[in-house]
Amino acid sequence: MMRLLKNVHKWVGLLIGLQVLVWLLSGLTISLLDPEKVSGKQWTSKSLTVAETLEPVTLVEPDELPAGIRKDALGIDLTTRNGKPVYLVRHADGETLVDAASASVIVIDRSGAEQVARGDFTGDGEIVSIESGMAPDMETRDSRGSYWKVSFSDHANTAIYISASTGDVFERRNSFWRVRDFFWMLHIMDYPGRENFNNPLVIAVALIAIWLGISGFMLLFGSFSRSDFFFLKSPGTRGEVVITLIDPGVKQPQKVKLNKGSNLFLSLATHDVSLASICGGGGECGKCRVRFETAPWPEANTIELGLIPKRRRERGYRLACQQVADRDMTLNLPEGTLVPGQ
Amino acid sequence: MLKPAVIARNLHKWLGLIVGLQILIWLATGLYMVVVDIDFIHGDSLVKNMRDVIVVPDSKLLSMASLRIRYPDATQIGLRPVMGKTFYTVTTATDRYLLDPETGVVHSPLGEKAAREIAAYHYAGEAPVISARLINANPPMEIQTRRLPLWRIDFDDRFATSFYIDPQNGSLVTRRHQYWRIFDFLWMLHIMDYEDRSDAHNLLLIFAQITGLTFAITGLWLLFYSFSGRRTKRRAADK
Repeated sequence: MMRLLKNVHKWVGLLIGLQVLVWLLSGLTISLLDPEKVSGKQWTSKSLTVAETLEPVTLVEPDELPAGIRKDALGIDLTTRNGKPVYLVRHADGETLVDAASASVIVIDRSGAEQVARGDFTGDGEIVSIESGMAPDMETRDSRGSYWKVSFSDHANTAIYISASTGDVFERRNSFWRVRDFFWMLHIMDYPGRENFNNPLVIAVALIAIWLGISGFMLLFGSFSRSDFFFLKSPGTRGEVVITLIDPGVKQPQKVKLNKGSNLFLSLATHDVSLASICGGGGECGKCRVRFETAPWPEANTIELGLIPKRRRERGYRLACQQVADRDMTLNLPEGTLVPGQ
Repeated sequence: MLKPAVIARNLHKWLGLIVGLQILIWLATGLYMVVVDIDFIHGDSLVKNMRDVIVVPDSKLLSMASLRIRYPDATQIGLRPVMGKTFYTVTTATDRYLLDPETGVVHSPLGEKAAREIAAYHYAGEAPVISARLINANPPMEIQTRRLPLWRIDFDDRFATSFYIDPQNGSLVTRRHQYWRIFDFLWMLHIMDYEDRSDAHNLLLIFAQITGLTFAITGLWLLFYSFSGRRTKRRAADK
């Protein structure tokens, strides 16, 4: 079971480990960015949202509006723009602003857009360019119809997007938003559109990644033993065992005291007895072999069954990373493990 | 000195103890959010008649002029459809009204019967309404940011659908259902904002992410050791 979990964890890790890293890195970046800056609210005038009372001037009635504008309207609202009464007519494909005094359609021109942008943006930059646009691009992907892009020279390279039909600011983009959007793309793995987190790629990778989580979480229980929490106990109550180490190249056997129940490989490593290992005690490489001097040999687990040939197991060979220091014992180490004279 | 592989393995193990559960939560909640279609979560499949057009009667319509005399402090006067019929809406600094477009009779605030009818008019399912309740204060989490009061109309379907109707203008303000509520709860777990469920710029989350990132890096680092041991393994088994 443990062996299966380890393999699942390892191979899934190899397959999508990099994306898990990308998820964490992009998630962290997105969290670190201040939402007030990302949305541009930090540099948005607060006074514009106050509604103005309608002035009692003679107006065109809604039923006197041109039939083409009235047709298929989802809603008609009498409201104000810059103190002037206007009709805002909503259709399925967008909104139209009509002068309520003359019934003529209002189109926001360059200077109108400039005025709106100046009123909206409170940051420290000047207008560097005003461009008109039609098609939605990465920064205006929710837009419908034509718009004005007013760019400022502030440190965040702000662009204020104004609808050409209503004069409303519909997007405020800046460097903070652009960074967030890039990492959001990495996070949801929608590289062309940056919007759809129900895309097949992210679904497939998430379905694989969950196994990395489940196997890892289960491995967590197996990788801890009581001895890992010795630091919680007072020093007097920790049990100790004496391990006698024999290296054929060193005349005197060496004795070390280890916490009872601790992992042999790790505890020896902390006592400067460095057994050979590639995987670092993970039960992967089979390098940290030791031979128990006296029978009965401890039980070999499934990892040891896979990594040590039978005839060696029967002679007392085990993997230090799979064994615990549960009693006093004598271990034969490969020649050269101990440093002479220590 | 401990070998790098030993350090990496121990870091991975102990960081896993700290942040392992949250990583699993991130993976599981993320999986739900990417697998379940967001348009379904938004309840797009539960509603109908959302694109009704207004019909401006050629003659009998009450004039804007008269409404502006009646509501001198109006900031908005408009026409909008409610259940396919056109009404006037008026917004003042303090209140909002729904008016008959020909007689000027005030219909707002709408009562339970009207709210139930409007909800049923927009409901695309077959199930009957099981309860209606006017929410004046202490709104549930799912309409936290909305203006009150609102009628909550519950349907007896397998999604536990709730429609929220604005009694001042008869509009369907929002719709919620069980899968939306699950999504919202999981989103809370995902961004670790257990209070408002909306702030991903919080210290707990940032701390967990930095720990998680270190954890992931040690994991990738270990992969290198795990796989470089494979060649020697086969040789060992042959002996």
